[in-house]
Amino acid sequence: MAGHEEADNAEAIITRIEHKSRKIESLLKQYKPVEALKTALEGSPPKTRDERCKSANWIVVHRALMAIKDVDGMFSSLDPEYYDILMKYLYRGLSTGDRPTCDQCLRIHEKLTERAGLGCILRSLADTVNTV
Amino acid sequence: MSAISVHQFAQCITCHAWSPDYSMISFCPNNNEVHIYRIVEEKWERIHVLQKHDQIVSGIDWSAKSNRIVTVSHDRNSYVWNQEGADWVPTLVILRLNRAALCVQWSPRENKFAVGSGAKTVCICYYEQENNWWVSKLIRKRHDSSVTSVAWHPNNILLATTSTDGKCRVFSTFIKGVDTRDSGTRSTMDSKFGEQIVQLDLSFCWAFGVKWSPSGNTLAYVGHNSMIYFVDEVGPAPSAQTIAFRDLPLRDVLFVSERMVIGVGFDCNPMIFAADERGLWSFVRFLGERKTSSSGAKYGSQFSEAFGKLYGQSKLGISNDIVEPSKPRGGIHENSINCIVPLKKEGDSTNTRFSTSGLDGKVVIWDLENQEDLSEYL
Repeated sequence: MAGHEEADNAEAIITRIEHKSRKIESLLKQYKPVEALKTALEGSPPKTRDERCKSANWIVVHRALMAIKDVDGMFSSLDPEYYDILMKYLYRGLSTGDRPTCDQCLRIHEKLTERAGLGCILRSLADTVNTV
Repeated sequence: MSAISVHQFAQCITCHAWSPDYSMISFCPNNNEVHIYRIVEEKWERIHVLQKHDQIVSGIDWSAKSNRIVTVSHDRNSYVWNQEGADWVPTLVILRLNRAALCVQWSPRENKFAVGSGAKTVCICYYEQENNWWVSKLIRKRHDSSVTSVAWHPNNILLATTSTDGKCRVFSTFIKGVDTRDSGTRSTMDSKFGEQIVQLDLSFCWAFGVKWSPSGNTLAYVGHNSMIYFVDEVGPAPSAQTIAFRDLPLRDVLFVSERMVIGVGFDCNPMIFAADERGLWSFVRFLGERKTSSSGAKYGSQFSEAFGKLYGQSKLGISNDIVEPSKPRGGIHENSINCIVPLKKEGDSTNTRFSTSGLDGKVVIWDLENQEDLSEYL
């Protein structure tokens, strides 16, 4: 039974991620990359161990992350409450080993560490609730 | 300058405590001994070495009224040391632990002491007159991991603990024949020994360094995720505030007044937190001066320093045991601070002086007087 519920839950999460993906695409079309990133980071941690959900979610966040061209501009309108979860996704990005993704993540990582400090990195390492 | 005295006692200090009149200091130099130093004509002189433990001494507390020292160690034992003439005479306290003891504190009335341990238990020890013996009563099956810190409420009954399961808990330690019912507050009157008053689930990773404010109304503790937690109205409906800060995590905290807390830890520089008129806590500033120009340069140098160490180790095969003096980072402590102790004058409601010790083997005495921006919080 527990496995069945988990599967139902996974379906619901996938639906949510699809909905989020559509919203992000439309924001990107309106040239609002920061709004798209916020949407990606919001409610994004699927709080599940299901790898399918996690990678579906990552694809969406990755899309928004790669669309950021002006990193300084992004930080001027991104609230500090997003910093910890953004850091967590940056490490997910770096773990892919994909060259353009890593370049982008490192660029943001530098600026984010400058702003949010080492405490932010510690929090993203210590965070066991948000599974990204 | 807020640091009024700096003294290098050893290569590394695990914990320290002061004698009631602050003329003597006891500390563990990261081994099985406790050293006692006395200040003689402006110079520190070693007068005693307490040797009884077999492993690292993890906690020391020196009672202010009864002039007794309690020590706990990784060897799972505790000793209460009484001064008899020129000597310190130990009494073994059998804690009945199967893991290391990690921290110790005398209760405010000094008739009990609490020991946190790696055995997921807390020991409450009290003296039994008829047997001439310290008895250890255990609070079991409440913690899911090691107990990293214990703190007594001023009422001598409530005990707060932090644990590596991330929780902060408050227990009643009422012991029949030792405590009297009227010594507790209203809400704790009926609580039995070991009863859990509240469990705070604010942190999801290791919690350290819990302390009560002087009145016992506020509780502060820290998490290993660079967060500090302030809890008011500890009871059935506690109200909590969480502050995330930008620097490395803290290890211990100290209330200097109802509205100001000093945090010490891996950043090697004490941090000041204060509450405004509405009771909202925030980070104020670092206590020690910092000589860094830009934050970017600071992180760069820290990263390269760590990298250099790793690289040097792999190349030269230097083992971790060799303590190499690291470059000062512009602070007074050159390594992680893990202990903060108040230096309180009798009858003062606030204490502006305190001492810190850490892995660099220094004991630093700080004074908050003449810090104009902080006076409003004292």
